[in-house]
Amino acid sequence: MFRHTPLRYATLAVLAAGMFAAAMTAEYFGLEILTEIAILAILVLALDMVAGFGGMVSLCHGALMGVGAYAYAVLAAKAGLAPPVAMAAAIAISGACSWVIGAICARSHGIYFIMATLAFGQMAYSYAFDSAALGGDDGVSGIPRLDLSAIGIDLNDGQSFALFCLLALAAAYGAAVIILRSGLGRSLTGIMHNEQRMRAVGLVTWRVKADVFGLSGMIAGLAGVLAAQHIMFVSPGLLAWTVSGEALVVVILGGLGTLVGPLVGAVLFVLLKHEISNVTPYWHLVVGVILVAVVMSRANGVFGWIEARVARWQAPRVISSRKEQVKNA
Amino acid sequence: MSQDLGFWAVQTLNALQLSMLLFLLSIGLTVIFGLMHFVNLAHGSLYAFGAYVAASVASVAGFWAGFIAAPIAVAVLGLVLYVTLIKRMRRSGPMPQVLITFGLIFALLDLTRIIWGDLALGIEVPAILSGRVSVLGVEYPAYRLFIIALGAAIYAGLASVLARTQIGAMIRAGVDNDAMASCLGINVERLFFLVFCMGCALAGLAGAVAAPLLSVTPDMGLQILIPTLIVIVIGGLGSLKGAIAGSLIYGFVQTFGAALAPQLSSILIYALLAAVLVTRPTGLFPAKG
Repeated sequence: MFRHTPLRYATLAVLAAGMFAAAMTAEYFGLEILTEIAILAILVLALDMVAGFGGMVSLCHGALMGVGAYAYAVLAAKAGLAPPVAMAAAIAISGACSWVIGAICARSHGIYFIMATLAFGQMAYSYAFDSAALGGDDGVSGIPRLDLSAIGIDLNDGQSFALFCLLALAAAYGAAVIILRSGLGRSLTGIMHNEQRMRAVGLVTWRVKADVFGLSGMIAGLAGVLAAQHIMFVSPGLLAWTVSGEALVVVILGGLGTLVGPLVGAVLFVLLKHEISNVTPYWHLVVGVILVAVVMSRANGVFGWIEARVARWQAPRVISSRKEQVKNA
Repeated sequence: MSQDLGFWAVQTLNALQLSMLLFLLSIGLTVIFGLMHFVNLAHGSLYAFGAYVAASVASVAGFWAGFIAAPIAVAVLGLVLYVTLIKRMRRSGPMPQVLITFGLIFALLDLTRIIWGDLALGIEVPAILSGRVSVLGVEYPAYRLFIIALGAAIYAGLASVLARTQIGAMIRAGVDNDAMASCLGINVERLFFLVFCMGCALAGLAGAVAAPLLSVTPDMGLQILIPTLIVIVIGGLGSLKGAIAGSLIYGFVQTFGAALAPQLSSILIYALLAAVLVTRPTGLFPAKG
């Protein structure tokens, strides 16, 4: 089950303060990067929910994000729905797609689950690529942003939009924590540790998996809606399996199953990508080598490594205080 | 009517040619998985590497030199990867393996870009195979027929090695139960190594064969990876029969889907894959029952 430790609170506080300060001070390019970080962070939160707490390593979360983006694009730009309605509908659609995928794949485990989700993701990609209604490989353009002029905020301004995305990230994080702490989330973690026992206890395990997968898909859909509003354009590239793969890389670099770690991972990944791209066009090589090194080191990502170090540093103190208790008794 | 017949003949040959190319790739991947339980997502990158080696060598010494050099070069690369990374990752679960090989995809992609640049390379079909041959009443490029024949020959060769020789029996024993096989005195570790290098060599061969048909680009490995994975998941991991069946299913569904129902063709194969996974989660012909 997910718990907040003092270290996690501290990291969250640092992240929130840093991002807010960046949003207040950054120039145009910095705000673009900040928005990119916030959107990626929402996506990896959704992925960590199922992969880190349910053992469902999904390679279709990029596609689910794409479904959200396309649904919003089509509803808002082509069907002419009001942006808030289109947003809600897009999130619901990606959640529904996700629930169905989760329900179908619930029986598969390990590598088969990865392959099955990959197949569904590619299915969505091919459909978007070939469908004339979705603009084929030209994509859909002219996507409006949410209109908040009623409360005096213009989201077409880079700074306002970055703050809006950060707010959405905070909301997504809150939702993920609530879901993981609920009975549903605890059941999911139980299933990850021992599915047969949970079934013997009387749980309908595929329903639990599908439900959490659906909720995770809604969060991924939110990331997609924001991505569509950010670049005001969607193309099939958004659904490619490499997007899902990159999201998985971010989760692993940050720390699987820590929820805070992937946020750290998202910040590091986007900053690293831009820094390396400034120096050399071969940033994939650097990311690849870092990924191999992190996995070989057997640490649970950057944040997992820090947590393990802090735990080791605290461990002797816990033992000594227990000894004192024994003495006093 | 004869025109109609010609259409079917050409499509069948196209499907066979695609199937055989995929078979060359998937057999290496599937046997490596069956024997070592190792998921090598970088298999597509090895194929791209093979294609590049073939193109470079062919531009100097002709097609056949590249055809021979590519499998050797890729087997050597596989050897290096095995010794440095894969041997250590053997005992970890599928997740770290997927990630390690995913990192390798990134690294190899940029390495090929650094060595060979971003521009697409092409190689000429050898003179002896450049013509067209009349088969089943249609003119068909000889080179594509060569691919079909090569795939069939390799299938026959592998099938007889696996079924009739001692090393084949050892491999089958290893796939079935590696702990028991090593108790019986089979050096499973060395067997793994051998099979891994063979799989890599076949990926390199596939790259060399595909190079004249497709242009050689850095992302060709990424493009072929998904079809290869679909083949082995439909066919079932770890078996020769699964690899050939999966390749044929993919080749025919893809080719005839594109010819007969172009709107549906792209999602047809994925829908089929989903159906297979739902009804038979371990594929049609898994190595273990």
